[in-house]
Amino acid sequence: MDSQDDSARVTALFPDPPQFWKAFTPANLSRFETLKQEYADQHGLGRNTVVRVPNLPEDLLYLQSPPEPEDQKWRLFSEPLSLKDELQDLEAAGIQRLAPPTLLDANKDGKHGDRAFELKKIAKSLLLNFLELVGLMGHNPSLGEQKVQDIKTLFLNFHHILNEYRPHQAREQLIELMQDQLDAKRAETAAIRAVVDKAKRALEGLGSMEIPGGGEEGEAMKVDEAGEGDGKKDGEGMEKVEVEKETWIRADEQFS
Amino acid sequence: MADRLTQLQEAADELANQFIACFYYLERRHDLEPFGPNDKIPDLKPEQPKEVDSLPPDVFQAGMVELARDLILKEQQIEYLISNLPGLDNSEREQEQLIRDLEEELKVAEAQRLEAVKEKQEVLAKLNQVLRGIRRH
Repeated sequence: MDSQDDSARVTALFPDPPQFWKAFTPANLSRFETLKQEYADQHGLGRNTVVRVPNLPEDLLYLQSPPEPEDQKWRLFSEPLSLKDELQDLEAAGIQRLAPPTLLDANKDGKHGDRAFELKKIAKSLLLNFLELVGLMGHNPSLGEQKVQDIKTLFLNFHHILNEYRPHQAREQLIELMQDQLDAKRAETAAIRAVVDKAKRALEGLGSMEIPGGGEEGEAMKVDEAGEGDGKKDGEGMEKVEVEKETWIRADEQFS
Repeated sequence: MADRLTQLQEAADELANQFIACFYYLERRHDLEPFGPNDKIPDLKPEQPKEVDSLPPDVFQAGMVELARDLILKEQQIEYLISNLPGLDNSEREQEQLIRDLEEELKVAEAQRLEAVKEKQEVLAKLNQVLRGIRRH
Protein backbone atom coordinates (compact mmCIF):
# COMPACT_ATOMS: atom_id res chain seq x y z
CA MET A 1 0.00 0.00 0.00
CA ASP A 2 2.69 2.39 1.01
CA SER A 3 4.70 1.94 -2.16
CA GLN A 4 1.59 2.56 -4.25
CA ASP A 5 0.96 5.78 -2.42
CA ASP A 6 4.53 6.80 -3.02
CA SER A 7 4.36 6.22 -6.76
CA ALA A 8 1.11 8.18 -6.92
CA ARG A 9 2.82 10.98 -5.12
CA VAL A 10 5.72 10.97 -7.54
CA THR A 11 3.49 11.18 -10.59
CA ALA A 12 1.65 14.10 -9.03
CA LEU A 13 4.79 16.12 -8.56
CA PHE A 14 4.77 19.65 -9.75
CA PRO A 15 6.36 19.86 -13.22
CA ASP A 16 9.95 21.02 -13.51
CA PRO A 17 10.53 24.66 -14.29
CA PRO A 18 11.42 25.36 -17.94
CA GLN A 19 15.01 24.58 -18.72
CA PHE A 20 16.03 28.16 -19.28
CA TRP A 21 16.02 28.98 -15.56
CA LYS A 22 19.60 27.74 -15.59
CA ALA A 23 20.59 30.68 -17.79
CA PHE A 24 19.88 33.15 -15.00
CA THR A 25 23.23 32.92 -13.25
CA PRO A 26 24.67 36.03 -11.59
CA ALA A 27 27.46 36.04 -14.13
CA ASN A 28 25.05 35.92 -17.06
CA LEU A 29 22.86 38.56 -15.50
CA SER A 30 25.74 40.98 -15.13
CA ARG A 31 26.93 40.26 -18.67
CA PHE A 32 23.45 41.01 -19.92
CA GLU A 33 23.34 44.23 -17.96
CA THR A 34 26.64 45.34 -19.47
CA LEU A 35 25.46 44.54 -22.98
CA LYS A 36 22.28 46.41 -22.36
CA GLN A 37 24.17 49.40 -21.06
CA GLU A 38 26.47 49.36 -24.07
CA TYR A 39 23.56 49.17 -26.43
CA ALA A 40 21.86 52.06 -24.64
CA ASP A 41 25.01 54.16 -24.83
CA GLN A 42 25.56 53.39 -28.49
CA HIS A 43 22.11 54.51 -29.42
CA GLY A 44 21.89 57.37 -27.04
CA LEU A 45 18.95 55.91 -25.21
CA GLY A 46 18.06 55.94 -21.55
CA ARG A 47 18.81 52.67 -19.78
CA ASN A 48 15.21 52.02 -18.97
CA THR A 49 13.92 52.71 -22.44
CA VAL A 50 15.85 49.81 -23.94
CA VAL A 51 13.38 46.99 -24.23
CA ARG A 52 15.35 44.54 -26.31
CA VAL A 53 19.01 44.23 -27.11
CA PRO A 54 19.47 42.70 -30.57
CA ASN A 55 22.15 40.14 -31.47
CA LEU A 56 22.68 38.73 -28.02
CA PRO A 57 25.03 35.78 -27.65
CA GLU A 58 23.13 32.55 -27.70
CA ASP A 59 23.54 31.70 -24.04
CA LEU A 60 22.04 35.02 -23.02
CA LEU A 61 19.00 34.84 -25.28
CA TYR A 62 16.74 33.73 -22.45
CA LEU A 63 17.52 36.78 -20.37
CA GLN A 64 15.25 39.03 -22.30
CA SER A 65 11.67 38.53 -23.27
CA PRO A 66 10.94 37.29 -26.79
CA PRO A 67 10.04 39.80 -29.51
CA GLU A 68 6.50 40.73 -30.34
CA PRO A 69 4.81 38.28 -32.65
CA GLU A 70 5.31 39.45 -36.22
CA ASP A 71 1.73 39.03 -37.32
CA GLN A 72 0.52 40.76 -34.13
CA LYS A 73 -1.39 37.67 -33.11
CA TRP A 74 -0.83 34.86 -30.67
CA ARG A 75 -2.77 32.27 -28.79
CA LEU A 76 -3.15 32.01 -25.07
CA PHE A 77 -4.97 29.02 -23.61
CA SER A 78 -6.19 28.33 -27.15
CA GLU A 79 -7.76 31.76 -27.25
CA PRO A 80 -6.59 33.90 -30.16
CA LEU A 81 -5.33 37.29 -29.05
CA SER A 82 -3.91 40.23 -30.94
CA LEU A 83 -1.67 43.11 -29.97
CA LYS A 84 -4.25 45.65 -30.84
CA ASP A 85 -7.18 45.31 -28.54
CA GLU A 86 -9.98 46.00 -30.91
CA LEU A 87 -13.67 45.52 -30.75
CA GLN A 88 -14.55 42.60 -32.94
CA ASP A 89 -16.68 43.46 -35.91
CA LEU A 90 -20.20 42.15 -35.94
CA GLU A 91 -19.53 40.66 -39.35
CA ALA A 92 -16.39 38.96 -38.10
CA ALA A 93 -18.41 37.35 -35.36
CA GLY A 94 -20.92 36.14 -37.91
CA ILE A 95 -23.77 38.37 -36.84
CA GLN A 96 -25.95 40.36 -39.14
CA ARG A 97 -25.47 44.09 -38.75
CA LEU A 98 -28.70 45.98 -38.31
CA ALA A 99 -27.52 49.55 -37.94
CA PRO A 100 -26.13 51.23 -41.06
CA PRO A 101 -22.35 50.84 -41.12
CA THR A 102 -21.87 54.58 -41.56
CA LEU A 103 -22.21 54.80 -37.82
CA LEU A 104 -18.93 53.04 -37.56
CA ASP A 105 -17.00 55.58 -39.55
CA ALA A 106 -14.30 57.13 -37.49
CA ASN A 107 -15.65 60.50 -38.40
CA LYS A 108 -14.32 62.82 -35.77
CA ASP A 109 -17.03 65.37 -36.20
CA GLY A 110 -19.81 62.85 -36.17
CA LYS A 111 -22.40 63.29 -33.50
CA HIS A 112 -23.62 60.36 -31.55
CA GLY A 113 -27.24 61.25 -31.64
CA ASP A 114 -27.71 58.77 -34.48
CA ARG A 115 -26.38 56.05 -32.30
CA ALA A 116 -28.93 56.79 -29.61
CA PHE A 117 -31.60 56.72 -32.27
CA GLU A 118 -30.43 53.31 -33.48
CA LEU A 119 -30.39 52.01 -29.94
CA LYS A 120 -33.92 53.15 -29.39
CA LYS A 121 -35.01 51.51 -32.60
CA ILE A 122 -33.46 48.26 -31.51
CA ALA A 123 -35.07 48.47 -28.09
CA LYS A 124 -38.47 48.91 -29.68
CA SER A 125 -37.79 46.11 -32.15
CA LEU A 126 -36.94 43.84 -29.27
CA LEU A 127 -40.33 44.33 -27.71
CA LEU A 128 -42.10 43.88 -31.01
CA ASN A 129 -40.14 40.74 -31.80
CA PHE A 130 -40.93 39.30 -28.44
CA LEU A 131 -44.59 39.95 -29.02
CA GLU A 132 -44.30 38.23 -32.38
CA LEU A 133 -42.48 35.35 -30.79
CA VAL A 134 -45.19 34.81 -28.22
CA GLY A 135 -47.78 34.95 -30.98
CA LEU A 136 -45.84 32.51 -33.14
CA MET A 137 -45.43 30.07 -30.30
CA GLY A 138 -49.18 30.11 -29.90
CA HIS A 139 -49.90 29.40 -33.54
CA ASN A 140 -46.91 27.73 -35.10
CA PRO A 141 -44.17 26.80 -32.62
CA SER A 142 -41.91 25.47 -35.37
CA LEU A 143 -41.29 29.02 -36.59
CA GLY A 144 -40.37 30.13 -33.11
CA GLU A 145 -36.72 29.30 -33.40
CA GLN A 146 -36.19 31.72 -36.23
CA LYS A 147 -37.76 34.47 -34.19
CA VAL A 148 -35.52 33.64 -31.26
CA GLN A 149 -32.58 34.05 -33.63
CA ASP A 150 -33.90 37.47 -34.61
CA ILE A 151 -34.12 38.50 -31.00
CA LYS A 152 -30.60 37.24 -30.40
CA THR A 153 -29.33 39.28 -33.34
CA LEU A 154 -31.08 42.33 -31.98
CA PHE A 155 -29.54 41.91 -28.55
CA LEU A 156 -26.08 41.37 -29.96
CA ASN A 157 -26.39 44.45 -32.12
CA PHE A 158 -27.56 46.43 -29.14
CA HIS A 159 -24.54 45.42 -27.12
CA HIS A 160 -22.25 46.02 -30.04
CA ILE A 161 -23.39 49.58 -30.55
CA LEU A 162 -23.00 50.18 -26.84
CA ASN A 163 -19.47 48.86 -26.88
CA GLU A 164 -18.61 51.04 -29.84
CA TYR A 165 -19.75 53.92 -27.70
CA ARG A 166 -17.33 53.08 -24.90
CA PRO A 167 -14.33 55.16 -26.05
CA HIS A 168 -16.58 58.16 -26.44
CA GLN A 169 -17.93 57.64 -22.99
CA ALA A 170 -14.44 57.24 -21.56
CA ARG A 171 -13.48 60.63 -22.96
CA GLU A 172 -16.67 62.08 -21.61
CA GLN A 173 -15.86 60.71 -18.19
CA LEU A 174 -12.38 62.15 -18.34
CA ILE A 175 -13.86 65.54 -19.08
CA GLU A 176 -16.17 65.19 -16.12
CA LEU A 177 -13.33 64.19 -13.81
CA MET A 178 -11.21 67.10 -14.93
CA GLN A 179 -14.08 69.48 -14.43
CA ASP A 180 -14.60 68.15 -10.91
CA GLN A 181 -10.93 68.53 -10.17
CA LEU A 182 -10.95 72.05 -11.48
CA ASP A 183 -13.92 72.95 -9.33
CA ALA A 184 -12.32 71.38 -6.28
CA LYS A 185 -9.08 73.27 -6.85
CA ARG A 186 -10.86 76.56 -7.28
CA ALA A 187 -12.94 75.97 -4.19
CA GLU A 188 -9.83 75.14 -2.21
CA THR A 189 -8.05 78.24 -3.44
CA ALA A 190 -11.03 80.38 -2.56
CA ALA A 191 -11.26 78.85 0.92
CA ILE A 192 -7.57 79.42 1.55
CA ARG A 193 -7.84 83.00 0.35
CA ALA A 194 -10.78 83.61 2.66
CA VAL A 195 -8.93 82.30 5.69
CA VAL A 196 -5.81 84.23 4.77
CA ASP A 197 -7.81 87.43 4.49
CA LYS A 198 -9.40 86.81 7.85
CA ALA A 199 -6.06 86.14 9.45
CA LYS A 200 -4.60 89.27 7.86
CA ARG A 201 -7.43 91.38 9.18
CA ALA A 202 -6.90 89.90 12.61
CA LEU A 203 -3.23 90.73 12.43
CA GLU A 204 -3.96 94.26 11.37
CA GLY A 205 -6.37 94.56 14.25
CA LEU A 206 -3.71 93.36 16.66
CA GLY A 207 -1.15 95.68 15.15
CA SER A 208 -3.35 98.75 15.51
CA MET A 209 -4.10 97.85 19.10
CA GLU A 210 -0.52 97.54 20.03
CA ILE A 211 0.37 101.03 18.98
CA PRO A 212 -0.15 102.40 22.52
CA GLY A 213 2.39 99.90 23.74
CA GLY A 214 4.92 101.46 21.37
CA GLY A 215 6.46 98.94 18.99
CA GLU A 216 5.59 96.01 21.19
CA GLU A 217 5.37 93.72 18.29
CA GLY A 218 8.72 94.62 16.87
CA GLU A 219 10.42 94.18 20.17
CA ALA A 220 8.71 90.89 20.73
CA MET A 221 9.85 89.69 17.37
CA LYS A 222 13.41 90.61 18.10
CA VAL A 223 13.27 88.55 21.21
CA ASP A 224 11.82 85.78 19.15
CA GLU A 225 14.62 85.89 16.67
CA ALA A 226 17.19 86.00 19.41
CA GLY A 227 16.13 82.55 20.38
CA GLU A 228 14.75 81.52 23.73
CA GLY A 229 13.19 84.42 25.48
CA ASP A 230 14.91 84.10 28.84
CA GLY A 231 12.65 86.36 30.74
CA LYS A 232 14.79 89.45 30.47
CA LYS A 233 11.64 91.44 30.02
CA ASP A 234 10.40 90.48 33.43
CA GLY A 235 11.70 93.54 35.09
CA GLU A 236 10.08 96.02 32.76
CA GLY A 237 7.30 96.79 35.10
CA MET A 238 3.64 96.31 35.58
CA GLU A 239 2.42 98.35 32.65
CA LYS A 240 3.42 95.52 30.32
CA VAL A 241 1.09 93.21 32.15
CA GLU A 242 -1.70 95.67 31.65
CA VAL A 243 -1.00 95.95 27.94
CA GLU A 244 -0.81 92.20 27.68
CA LYS A 245 -4.15 91.76 29.35
CA GLU A 246 -5.75 94.23 27.01
CA THR A 247 -4.16 92.56 24.01
CA TRP A 248 -5.49 89.19 25.02
CA ILE A 249 -8.98 90.54 25.47
CA ARG A 250 -8.86 92.14 22.01
CA ALA A 251 -7.45 88.98 20.54
CA ASP A 252 -10.26 86.97 22.03
CA GLU A 253 -12.73 89.37 20.48
CA GLN A 254 -11.06 89.01 17.13
CA PHE A 255 -11.04 85.26 17.08
CA SER A 256 -14.35 84.53 18.69
CA MET B 1 -22.56 53.10 -9.13
CA ALA B 2 -21.85 51.79 -12.54
CA ASP B 3 -21.58 54.20 -15.43
CA ARG B 4 -24.54 54.74 -17.67
CA LEU B 5 -23.32 52.50 -20.45
CA THR B 6 -23.01 49.59 -18.08
CA GLN B 7 -26.39 50.36 -16.65
CA LEU B 8 -27.78 50.24 -20.14
CA GLN B 9 -26.11 46.94 -20.86
CA GLU B 10 -27.46 45.51 -17.66
CA ALA B 11 -30.91 46.79 -18.48
CA ALA B 12 -30.75 45.03 -21.85
CA ASP B 13 -29.75 41.80 -20.14
CA GLU B 14 -32.58 42.20 -17.69
CA LEU B 15 -34.96 42.64 -20.58
CA ALA B 16 -33.76 39.33 -22.01
CA ASN B 17 -34.27 37.73 -18.62
CA GLN B 18 -37.77 39.10 -18.48
CA PHE B 19 -38.50 37.59 -21.87
CA ILE B 20 -37.53 34.22 -20.51
CA ALA B 21 -39.49 34.76 -17.31
CA CYS B 22 -42.58 35.59 -19.38
CA PHE B 23 -42.21 32.42 -21.37
CA TYR B 24 -41.74 30.35 -18.30
CA TYR B 25 -44.87 31.84 -16.79
CA LEU B 26 -46.95 31.25 -19.91
CA GLU B 27 -45.71 27.72 -20.25
CA ARG B 28 -46.13 26.63 -16.67
CA ARG B 29 -49.17 28.51 -15.53
CA HIS B 30 -51.57 28.37 -18.46
CA ASP B 31 -55.06 27.02 -18.15
CA LEU B 32 -54.75 23.83 -20.25
CA GLU B 33 -57.30 25.06 -22.73
CA PRO B 34 -57.55 22.72 -25.77
CA PHE B 35 -57.29 24.53 -29.09
CA GLY B 36 -59.16 22.00 -31.18
CA PRO B 37 -61.11 18.80 -30.85
CA ASN B 38 -57.95 16.75 -31.36
CA ASP B 39 -56.13 18.21 -28.40
CA LYS B 40 -56.08 16.14 -25.29
CA ILE B 41 -54.94 16.93 -21.84
CA PRO B 42 -52.80 14.00 -20.77
CA ASP B 43 -53.82 12.36 -17.55
CA LEU B 44 -50.97 12.45 -15.15
CA LYS B 45 -50.49 10.05 -12.33
CA PRO B 46 -50.53 11.83 -9.01
CA GLU B 47 -46.89 11.02 -8.27
CA GLN B 48 -45.67 12.45 -11.59
CA PRO B 49 -44.46 16.03 -11.37
CA LYS B 50 -46.96 18.28 -12.99
CA GLU B 51 -45.83 19.93 -16.20
CA VAL B 52 -48.38 22.65 -15.92
CA ASP B 53 -49.37 24.18 -12.64
CA SER B 54 -52.48 26.02 -13.66
CA LEU B 55 -53.56 29.20 -12.01
CA PRO B 56 -57.15 30.37 -11.75
CA PRO B 57 -57.99 32.33 -14.94
CA ASP B 58 -58.21 35.72 -13.29
CA VAL B 59 -54.94 35.29 -11.44
CA PHE B 60 -53.27 34.06 -14.62
CA GLN B 61 -54.60 37.05 -16.51
CA ALA B 62 -53.42 39.44 -13.83
CA GLY B 63 -49.99 37.87 -13.91
CA MET B 64 -49.76 38.29 -17.66
CA VAL B 65 -50.78 41.92 -17.41
CA GLU B 66 -48.15 42.50 -14.77
CA LEU B 67 -45.42 40.85 -16.79
CA ALA B 68 -46.40 42.80 -19.89
CA ARG B 69 -46.31 46.02 -17.91
CA ASP B 70 -42.89 45.16 -16.56
CA LEU B 71 -41.65 44.56 -20.09
CA ILE B 72 -42.88 47.94 -21.22
CA LEU B 73 -41.40 49.59 -18.16
CA LYS B 74 -38.03 48.01 -18.77
CA GLU B 75 -38.10 49.12 -22.37
CA GLN B 76 -38.96 52.65 -21.28
CA GLN B 77 -36.13 52.54 -18.81
CA ILE B 78 -33.75 51.52 -21.58
CA GLU B 79 -34.94 54.39 -23.75
CA TYR B 80 -34.51 56.79 -20.89
CA LEU B 81 -30.99 55.56 -20.31
CA ILE B 82 -30.23 55.94 -24.00
CA SER B 83 -31.40 59.53 -23.99
CA ASN B 84 -29.15 60.18 -21.02
CA LEU B 85 -26.00 58.74 -22.47
CA PRO B 86 -23.16 61.12 -21.69
CA GLY B 87 -22.03 63.48 -24.37
CA LEU B 88 -24.42 62.52 -27.14
CA ASP B 89 -24.04 65.96 -28.61
CA ASN B 90 -20.25 66.10 -28.49
CA SER B 91 -18.17 64.94 -31.37
CA GLU B 92 -14.76 63.47 -30.81
CA ARG B 93 -13.01 66.63 -31.95
CA GLU B 94 -15.02 68.75 -29.54
CA GLN B 95 -14.19 66.38 -26.75
CA GLU B 96 -10.50 66.59 -27.46
CA GLN B 97 -10.67 70.36 -27.56
CA LEU B 98 -12.54 70.38 -24.28
CA ILE B 99 -9.98 68.13 -22.66
CA ARG B 100 -7.16 70.37 -23.78
CA ASP B 101 -8.94 73.47 -22.50
CA LEU B 102 -9.59 71.84 -19.18
CA GLU B 103 -5.97 70.84 -18.94
CA GLU B 104 -4.91 74.45 -19.36
CA GLU B 105 -7.43 75.66 -16.83
CA LEU B 106 -6.28 73.02 -14.39
CA LYS B 107 -2.71 74.25 -14.69
CA VAL B 108 -3.78 77.82 -14.02
CA ALA B 109 -5.91 76.77 -11.09
CA GLU B 110 -3.10 74.71 -9.64
CA ALA B 111 -0.72 77.66 -9.87
CA GLN B 112 -3.25 79.87 -8.13
CA ARG B 113 -3.73 77.27 -5.46
CA LEU B 114 -0.01 76.98 -4.78
CA GLU B 115 0.21 80.73 -4.58
CA ALA B 116 -2.61 80.78 -2.06
CA VAL B 117 -0.97 78.05 -0.02
CA LYS B 118 2.26 80.01 0.02
CA GLU B 119 0.46 83.11 1.14
CA LYS B 120 -1.27 81.12 3.81
CA GLN B 121 2.00 79.85 5.13
CA GLU B 122 3.43 83.33 5.24
CA VAL B 123 0.47 84.64 7.16
CA LEU B 124 0.61 81.66 9.44
CA ALA B 125 4.25 82.31 10.22
CA LYS B 126 3.53 85.96 10.88
CA LEU B 127 0.63 85.13 13.13
CA ASN B 128 2.72 82.63 15.00
CA GLN B 129 5.39 85.20 15.56
CA VAL B 130 2.94 87.73 16.86
CA LEU B 131 1.27 85.27 19.18
CA ARG B 132 4.57 84.10 20.54
CA GLY B 133 5.63 87.67 20.98
CA ILE B 134 2.52 88.37 23.02
CA ARG B 135 3.14 85.38 25.20
CA ARG B 136 6.68 86.47 25.97
CA HIS B 137 5.73 89.79 27.46
